[in-house]
Amino acid sequence: MALRADRYASRAGTLLFLGCVGLSLAAMSLPPAWRDPVAAALRQTILAPFLELQQQSELLRTSHSRFERVVAQRDSAALAATFLPELRNENTRLRVLLGLGQRLGTGYTPAEVLHQAAPTDPLTLEVSAGRRQGVRPLAPVVSPEGLVGVVFAVDAQTSVVVTWAHPEFRASAMAADGGVYGIAAPHGTEGPGVWLLELRGVPYLQAVPVGTVILTSGLGGVLPRGIPLGTVLGVVGETEGWERTYLVRPAVQPAGVTHVMILGAARNGADLHNAFPPVQETP
Amino acid sequence: MRRSDKYRVWVILAVLVALQFSVRNRLGNERTAPDFLLLALLIYTIRSQPGRSAAAGFVVGLLRDALTPASFGAGALAHTLVGYLSAWGKAVFFAENLFVNGCLFFAGTWCRNVVVALASGKLKGGQLGWELLVWSPLQSLTTAVAGVAVLWLFGRWLAIRLSES
Repeated sequence: MALRADRYASRAGTLLFLGCVGLSLAAMSLPPAWRDPVAAALRQTILAPFLELQQQSELLRTSHSRFERVVAQRDSAALAATFLPELRNENTRLRVLLGLGQRLGTGYTPAEVLHQAAPTDPLTLEVSAGRRQGVRPLAPVVSPEGLVGVVFAVDAQTSVVVTWAHPEFRASAMAADGGVYGIAAPHGTEGPGVWLLELRGVPYLQAVPVGTVILTSGLGGVLPRGIPLGTVLGVVGETEGWERTYLVRPAVQPAGVTHVMILGAARNGADLHNAFPPVQETP
Repeated sequence: MRRSDKYRVWVILAVLVALQFSVRNRLGNERTAPDFLLLALLIYTIRSQPGRSAAAGFVVGLLRDALTPASFGAGALAHTLVGYLSAWGKAVFFAENLFVNGCLFFAGTWCRNVVVALASGKLKGGQLGWELLVWSPLQSLTTAVAGVAVLWLFGRWLAIRLSES
């Protein structure tokens, strides 16, 4: 049945709408010092059961995939058991391929990424570990491929991670051989270089070859030294006779990350270069 | 109208909210999977008054903003606008038709994403173009398909004006 517009367009409804728009605009203009506690309070109260549900769902999905992997591994093991030498070789290869977690040893918190249906999702990620798991603000967040971002806000059970794609993200970076230093930042939003990093502030006379692996330098004390950021693609800009900016292909794409590791305070000042699998430098 | 009919609508809306946080992450790409939370809001708005729809949109948007602080406030604004315009447009223009409702779901999702992307100010240039011309239409399409499926399966339950119940 059609509904009459004149009955629907009441003055109270219009005022309610305008009030909500006004509150939305007020929320957008809130300074971070006011905005963050409001967001944290909502996450810890109303949204807590929903985040718990999402976390359980992620665990269930992971368990299912793990079960399938275990079944596949069991079948593979049954087949490989008939060829013991091959099984030994397989074991050797698996030991070499042990994950980042075992190389890191201790001092990290594993977490699932709880992706949200928002266009800005790759800029900030919600992860399933918080204060109770020992997560602290500004903790580095990594995946086996490299740096994902840093922790921005910490709640009891979850945390918000600012990824390298966020316009305000910056990291002190260096070439893998430690010969060149610069500042890594998101490349921007124009042209074909979207979702790439750039290495800024490299002295003009210090050329960085294409394919050079870029790591965190550890300067500044927030990020440990040696976490892969990406690989140099080429020069993207230069200030004549002064400095160059290089385009860097990121090691990690935040939109595709499902599991991360949040490093603890004990990692500050450490060199994690050996914890990550070596990235091949492409000439 | 039976008293139990009123609760059926709320049960469907609650199921959609639960799907958002439990099933959505298994439906492929995060950027293109249907947005069940927005779908619940749109189903509510097409049966409710514009003022209440705007308020519901504001609450939903603010809660989502708490999960994506990069665009805090932008989600509340977007959901408020979409909720109000959906309820108003439905009352004034739209017929009770499955295809038209599907178009409403598509347009509502796309407009929400447009407002969030523009109001947040975080996406520009190529990023904005890809978001608005590729990812958002795909998400709008999957949301519209999910919405049409819900209306097709539970249309009789949803043929209730929440504002009158």
